[in-house]
Amino acid sequence: MPLRYLFHFAQVHHEFRLPELQSISELHGISYKLPNEAKDRDPRRPFMVVELESEEDARILARRCILIKAIYEFYAQGSTYEEVHEVNRQNEHLWKRYIEDTSFRFLITSSHHKIPQSRQREVIESFAYMDFRGKIDMKNPDILLMCFEEYDDKPGTTLERHEGDGKFRVVFFGRLIEEGTARQLIHKFDVKKRVYYGNTSMESEISLLMANQTLASPGKFVYDPFVGTGSMAYPTAHFGALVFGSDIDGRQMRGKQKVPGVIRAAQQYGISSHIIDLATFDITNNPWRCGELFDAIVTDPPYGVRAGAKRLGRKRELSERQRELCLQHSLSPRPDDQPYIPPTKPYELSHLAADLVLFARYLLKPGGRLVFFLPTVTDEYEEVDIYSMLCEGMEVIANSLQNFGSWGRRLVTIRKTTLKQYSPPTFEPAQPPSDEPAHIPAHKDFREKYFQGFKKSDDKTEQSSLYFVNP
Amino acid sequence: MVRLLTHNLLACHAKDCNTNNFPLQFKDVQLEIREADFNPEFLKGFMPKIDWKALVDTARQLGDTSLPLEQPEMVDDEFLKNLHHILLEIHVEEGSMTCPNCGHVYPISNGIPNMLLAEHEIG
Repeated sequence: MPLRYLFHFAQVHHEFRLPELQSISELHGISYKLPNEAKDRDPRRPFMVVELESEEDARILARRCILIKAIYEFYAQGSTYEEVHEVNRQNEHLWKRYIEDTSFRFLITSSHHKIPQSRQREVIESFAYMDFRGKIDMKNPDILLMCFEEYDDKPGTTLERHEGDGKFRVVFFGRLIEEGTARQLIHKFDVKKRVYYGNTSMESEISLLMANQTLASPGKFVYDPFVGTGSMAYPTAHFGALVFGSDIDGRQMRGKQKVPGVIRAAQQYGISSHIIDLATFDITNNPWRCGELFDAIVTDPPYGVRAGAKRLGRKRELSERQRELCLQHSLSPRPDDQPYIPPTKPYELSHLAADLVLFARYLLKPGGRLVFFLPTVTDEYEEVDIYSMLCEGMEVIANSLQNFGSWGRRLVTIRKTTLKQYSPPTFEPAQPPSDEPAHIPAHKDFREKYFQGFKKSDDKTEQSSLYFVNP
Repeated sequence: MVRLLTHNLLACHAKDCNTNNFPLQFKDVQLEIREADFNPEFLKGFMPKIDWKALVDTARQLGDTSLPLEQPEMVDDEFLKNLHHILLEIHVEEGSMTCPNCGHVYPISNGIPNMLLAEHEIG
């Protein structure tokens, strides 16, 4: 019989919560069942009652999911304490074994509210019928019983102290099984404490969530094609995977010291042997000898707010004479500290995103995952934007928004569902069928839209001149 | 860095350089040996992807003759340990890799290979 567990979630990144639960369950072969009613699985609420097959499964999830604060054995819930006590009595078989001789601690707390001390006592005493005879131990109890009042969040209003006390939406009651220890990793991988980072480094909580979406675990091989300062590599390697990173600009990976910055940061975390290699190249001119190499590709492509994406090539055609001069320049010998730097041109975001999906289909093993961020304009985003960049054999399994107001970024998880082998992508712009106009996704020319403040502009000349302004 | 695992996966990708463009030839290399976690499952999963002749030849050039000329069908622990050492513990820190076909030189500095192509080498 499936058992019910009370999940306490962190009240952040709510759209990432269920995809993470799905990913970590898949990784460990855990089956779970969410509540039937939509209101009971609303990811904006702090608690959810989930069915699992064993307590061990609950422990595994709590140790790996970044967004789980704790998991409790579910004893009761109700919209009044009378209901809670009634259900709790029916579930006596779950807690009977603790009556005789188990030290315990009883806690009562709430969300978006503070319960006055006097009523806390009242509530605790109302559970007296459970008749626990073990000693009360506030420091090292054998079990922790938790009662949780969920109040509606009323953003933007200031409430008097204890105002509306007792007018909770629902009360949950259960026994603690496991604290969500993975949340401590947010501090471990804190960018500010890292020995090497840049202005585009990804915050640790999000990079951990990304690593979980890749199903990182020992023996997996994971690739970041825009590795930059390595933010996604560290948590992915921490979970045991081997990581390969490449970037068109080697300076981000190297930093200024002899030992590359990404390696120094990996040494700080004790995972430098998991960074297989770093290499400088442009994904549109890549040296991979064959495909189907990786279990996952995880990346935060440059989308132009801090750094624009680049690929090899030139913005403007050169004259015959200029071309000849450039060829001579590239072939002429030069000192070691002044290497030849090939010219680059901008890589428009919607083109990059579509190429990334094709590139991933070539490089991923069957069943492998592509996990990446796509910035979008909040008012213009449509779901078709994501689906328009897909190709045969690649399927979206999660799409979670991190909302910044007028824009946001979506963490997209795509699974390679095909066994077919594909040849490497050409990285040429797709030719839309001529008889129907192609869908223009809201993330096209994201950089230009960002620096215009996401205003709708009819003035095309202004738009094109903005293109060359450096942030 | 530039472990032999990586070397076994990188081919010259200059424009029109499609044959005899692998394996790249190491030159003037400085080696370092660094221990890595032994993971037999990873090695077994990765074996089908290895170009065996390229790996054995390169290992021998760098002075390691522990691998057999033919990839064995049955693997034992000793073989996997040798394979682990060659794929993951030998690091080329400095030097270069040259394409046997077009002669493009890919320099390696502080363990990071520069695989960028010049303007006339891209498609």
